Amino acid sequence: MSSAAPDASAQTLPAANLRRARPKPAGGADVSSGGPDDWLWRWVTFSPALLMMLLLSVLPLVNLFLTSFYNVTWTGGQPTWTPVGVDNYNELVHDELLRAGLFNTLVFAIFAVGGQMLFGFVLALLCCRVTRGRILYRTIFILPILVPGIVVGAIWKLLLNFDFGLVNQLIGLIGFEPMNWLGAKATALASVIFVDVWHWTPFCFLLFLAGLESLPQDVYEAGKIDGATIWQELRYITLPMMLPTIMVTFAFRLVTAFKVFDEVYLLTGGGPGTSTEVLSFTLYQRFFRQDRTGYGASMSMFIIFLVCILLVMALSARKRVSAPA
Amino acid sequence: MRESSITGRVTRSGISRRRVLAGAGAAAIGALGNVRFAAAAKVAPITIVINQSPWFESFRKTVELYEKETGNKVELDVNPFAGSLEKQRNSVRAAKGQYDLLIMNGGWFAEMYFGGFVEAISDIDPSFKLDPDVYTLGDTVFFDPVKKVMTPQGKLMSVPIGPLIPLLYYRGDLYKEAGLKAPETFAELEANARKLHKPPGRYGIVQRGARGPATVSFDFYPYLYGNGGGIFKNQAAADYTVTLNNEAGRTALEYYLRLAKEVGHPQTASLDQADVIQNMLTGKAAHISAVIAAWSPMDDPDKSAVVDKVEFAPTPHAAGLTTASGLGHWLGGIARNIPDDRKRGAVEFLRWFQTKDAQIASAKLGGIPVNAAAYRDPISQERKFRWMKPLADSLPHAVNVYQFPEASEVIAILELGLNQAVAGNTAAAPALNSMADQIHGVMAKYGYATGKLPPL
Repeated sequence: MSSAAPDASAQTLPAANLRRARPKPAGGADVSSGGPDDWLWRWVTFSPALLMMLLLSVLPLVNLFLTSFYNVTWTGGQPTWTPVGVDNYNELVHDELLRAGLFNTLVFAIFAVGGQMLFGFVLALLCCRVTRGRILYRTIFILPILVPGIVVGAIWKLLLNFDFGLVNQLIGLIGFEPMNWLGAKATALASVIFVDVWHWTPFCFLLFLAGLESLPQDVYEAGKIDGATIWQELRYITLPMMLPTIMVTFAFRLVTAFKVFDEVYLLTGGGPGTSTEVLSFTLYQRFFRQDRTGYGASMSMFIIFLVCILLVMALSARKRVSAPA
Repeated sequence: MRESSITGRVTRSGISRRRVLAGAGAAAIGALGNVRFAAAAKVAPITIVINQSPWFESFRKTVELYEKETGNKVELDVNPFAGSLEKQRNSVRAAKGQYDLLIMNGGWFAEMYFGGFVEAISDIDPSFKLDPDVYTLGDTVFFDPVKKVMTPQGKLMSVPIGPLIPLLYYRGDLYKEAGLKAPETFAELEANARKLHKPPGRYGIVQRGARGPATVSFDFYPYLYGNGGGIFKNQAAADYTVTLNNEAGRTALEYYLRLAKEVGHPQTASLDQADVIQNMLTGKAAHISAVIAAWSPMDDPDKSAVVDKVEFAPTPHAAGLTTASGLGHWLGGIARNIPDDRKRGAVEFLRWFQTKDAQIASAKLGGIPVNAAAYRDPISQERKFRWMKPLADSLPHAVNVYQFPEASEVIAILELGLNQAVAGNTAAAPALNSMADQIHGVMAKYGYATGKLPPL
């Protein structure tokens, strides 16, 4: 009796009260009350995880941050660290490549993520009520995200090749002139965005499909009884209920889009000119190709800062849409 | 009977004459009490870090030949172009290096010299002598660590592995039909390209105009230096005044852009080396400028539609000047931070690699010899090796474009500026002015004695 009663009460109490409702062990200290033994035990068990986290994520960031205030050169096989204050950060402001990269990354993120969300949602809507051949169509739709980035690059580099590409051969059949999809300023970024949409739409599709399939059916049934049209069903039932899923997917894809690298590296190399220059590619050039460790570190910090801002914005937007009216 | 891989000569016992001579020599030296030869013949295994380039297969086969001949072991770590540089940096900056012999490109060997990552071969083995017939390629195999200049008065830091410079590839069959002769000057090249320009089936010339690690800039150097221009006033004298935007520079860029626009591929701004070679192989280009390492597929019926139709010539130049292409060569340097036995192993490989016999064998395997004696050998008269004479004519005039470790920053500026000009976003003069300004900024930032010309 004495052991069953608290459990029963715990089920009915809000989570915040659970701690208070737990029993005290007979003749012993209260393990949940924060006594000295409990405090020690918590830290003993928690510290390995904390230490691991510090080592793996905080320490590299701190190291990166500190490096951003130095210039690193090599002489006699040994590095020389020269403090330069905030010079590296000042240089960021004047870096034209970075400016082009930032602009293109924003354009890329908006259109690529927008396209993926739109196509992913439409596909999920079309497929959520299909019952026959579910495994087959899902397998087909998710194929692009299973393809490694390097293979995606190879596939589309071949398809979009000016002289020998299948796309130009196909449009040639209907009388169009071949286009330099990846090499012309007007089409290069759009082509990279298209490839990214092709690559990542299935990811959005899967999340949206899972979200749609978990929506309560009684709301739809009520809507039908009230005579709601398909459009009204979408507008007043599906979209509002899907909003948290949409926001999470959007936040995740937005952050990932800001980190785009492989498609640009493989398809266009940032060109022509700076038409497809993106932040990660600029960083790659400054940090790795040009071996500018200190400046590269400051650029890394800037990009991390941007991604953090985006994440905070996306999460607060999600909170707003999830909050009860 | 077994055939010697290098000389092709055999003895009745099945042992090559080379081995018999080597054995006899070793015995004679051993009898004199000097056991060094025997010890040198067998050395510790070494690891070579190298890039996956068109000439890699020939290098791999040459290494196999070395292993077969000497019994020494060599491991190859093969990487993409940029990946090889990253691996080399990681290895040489560690306390103990993973790689023994670094195959360094013209774009980054200076970084290895200046950073102190490569040990002078003459310090490892004072008896090592560079074969007098080996090309020193703008004296880039030497470095004076005190004066920080590349000069024969400095130490021997490396041995050339691939003397890569661009040559002009042209369609000999079309030239014959049209009664043309191989172009020597820019004016002749332009005239010939105009005659053979029949788009879209064939372009007068296909240029490498894309932005990359060293793409459009490398394609542009023969035009710049062939017109008497240059990026800096006098690097050897440590005068880094930027001269890119002088009249010669303008003439060169305007010519380069005119070729691209009027007799070139419509998408020059997006073509890289592979595209350019592909255009030649498929018969869509009448001329290309490409590193000579791409000769091998031209005559391969499985890869080429122009077998035996491609001829080679030194890159053209302005009247009264000489051919002058930029070096895109590869050097083999020994890492500083490896054990002594592996250093000696690397020295032995280089000692063998630089010989005339090894270089002829390398050529037969598809490689580009670094030893001038190979170019005088009868094989250079064979039809298959018709590129050897123009290459031998060009190599003495090749230009070492960068003699400082921050070259990659200058190359990045050129790649972007030239690509934008080829894409038609800027005209020649403003493009040159802008690039010159930026290069001046880089040189000033690193404390070089620099200056700039008034804008064009």
